[in-house]
Amino acid sequence: MIEINGLYKRYHLQRRVYDWVLEDINLTIPQGVSVGLLGRNGAGKSTLLRLIAGMDTPDRGTIHRHCRVSWPIGLAGGFQGSMTGRQNVKFVARVHGGRGDVHEIIERVQAFAELGDAFDEPIKTYSSGMRARLNFGLSLAFDFDIYLSDEATSVGDRAFKAKATQAFKEKVGEASLVMVSHSEGILKDLCDSGIYLKDGHATWYDDIDDAIAVYHEETDAARAASGSAEPAATPADSPPVTPLREAQSLDDARAQLREVKAEFDTARAEFERAQRDDDMAPRERQTYGDAFRASRERLHDARRQVQALQKGEE
Amino acid sequence: MPDETSNSVGARTPWQVTRSVWYAMFMREAVSRTMANRMGWFWMIFEPVAFTTIMVAIRGFIRGDRFIVNAEYIPWLITGLMGFFLIREGMLRGLGAINGNSALFAYRQVQPVDPVLVRNVLEGLLRSFVFLLFIAGALMLGTDLLPDNGIRALGWWFSLWTLGLGLGLITSVAGTLVPEVGTVIRMINMPLLILSGVIFPLNNLPHWLLEYLLYNPIVHGLELMRAAFFEGYQVVNGTSATYFWLFTLSTLTIGLLMHLRFREKLKVK
Repeated sequence: MIEINGLYKRYHLQRRVYDWVLEDINLTIPQGVSVGLLGRNGAGKSTLLRLIAGMDTPDRGTIHRHCRVSWPIGLAGGFQGSMTGRQNVKFVARVHGGRGDVHEIIERVQAFAELGDAFDEPIKTYSSGMRARLNFGLSLAFDFDIYLSDEATSVGDRAFKAKATQAFKEKVGEASLVMVSHSEGILKDLCDSGIYLKDGHATWYDDIDDAIAVYHEETDAARAASGSAEPAATPADSPPVTPLREAQSLDDARAQLREVKAEFDTARAEFERAQRDDDMAPRERQTYGDAFRASRERLHDARRQVQALQKGEE
Repeated sequence: MPDETSNSVGARTPWQVTRSVWYAMFMREAVSRTMANRMGWFWMIFEPVAFTTIMVAIRGFIRGDRFIVNAEYIPWLITGLMGFFLIREGMLRGLGAINGNSALFAYRQVQPVDPVLVRNVLEGLLRSFVFLLFIAGALMLGTDLLPDNGIRALGWWFSLWTLGLGLGLITSVAGTLVPEVGTVIRMINMPLLILSGVIFPLNNLPHWLLEYLLYNPIVHGLELMRAAFFEGYQVVNGTSATYFWLFTLSTLTIGLLMHLRFREKLKVK
């Protein structure tokens, strides 16, 4: 259980005091309930998560953690760039008091993160996805009561996302989750309740769907406001792709593909020439670019058509 | 003071947490200090050797080594250099300790004071080891570098380390919050080496100048350690163990207080 009472937080930087990021937050996160944190960028989600994790201290108010809480699992921080993945894992295992079973923890992390040889390379050579995998695997190696996740699953590939979601689902019952995510699928999948942050205030929703609905209302309103001010410009930029005619047979489709391919080749040649020509105005150059992209679309469509017909014949 | 809220079921006591943090950090620092750098071991020993050799060569050239009462010049120089390096490293290691470990403050168990303490302990151990090597090496070459009063020599060696730790605690906070402090400290390093009486004995200096030089606690510490090494050694007039320890304890107190006061700022940095 985590109790947050009268919490205020703002940042100071070289004598400048910024506005409150979080104002008068009063929340109780019960044991065994997974919570999703929602809000627009800059609403204070990550700040609240850092405060819960104890990385930062509130300006006013208190946070009581009555159980073992993880560090915020995510992209930022937690690893020393010059040390290898293995050394970092060792360090964290020792900090968390796992003196005897450090090797066991290392093996578990290694198995989960699937980094291969990179496990013994310095962290600074890792991609963001690899870091996230290591961080995630590391946190799962300890038995926390509450896991804090800050977009932990957002950078991984599909296989990793599925694995991470699966790992969290297995922990349901023993551990719960406080997560920040912009992916509603994952929120709906893993969370029971939601906290919606807006203008520094937090609102608790017993059902995550209600929180998502409120979040949608706000983002839709924002989009409508910005949309009316600025007329939709994007669709007009690229000319519509002339649709292909329906191919009657495989040979017909192949002939069409050849045709489109020839069109595409000329469009590409012209586009490349336009790229090299320095005297050409950007406006003119753009028309070549558009033509090139449009014919590429057509080429892909033609290929797909041929493939579909081939599959049909087999 | 035990924190009531953290003492629920399964949680470790603050002391247990601190101990495992120190252990983890010590292992990490020890590996990166000795292994990460190519030839790290070699330089750790060779740097003081080279420095001593250069200094001895220069001094042989100027021929001023007859003025030290009851001590040979080379052992006198080596004890001074070792003691001075111990303090200097304490000060300089503190400077980078917090920035070098800032990524690890993501774990709330790790406090900014931990890397400073751990680095200083590690540095003290390594320097002691190098000093022992020097003593052994000197004995094999026929120079008597064995302390005449071992216990007192050890005591003052430890005292010098404590001063380095106190200064390191202060510089770690000041240098992290105000980066210019680091530049200034590196700058005053060289003059401090001469002003502390490491290379030239201070005894021949005029009294009015000596009065000012004796505000520097390093002079007191070095002279007292040399007195333990060489029986009958004539310390600089006005050397006081009380002054040294008052200064050391003050720096320790101020350093720890600064760490308490600026803990949150240091973590964010």
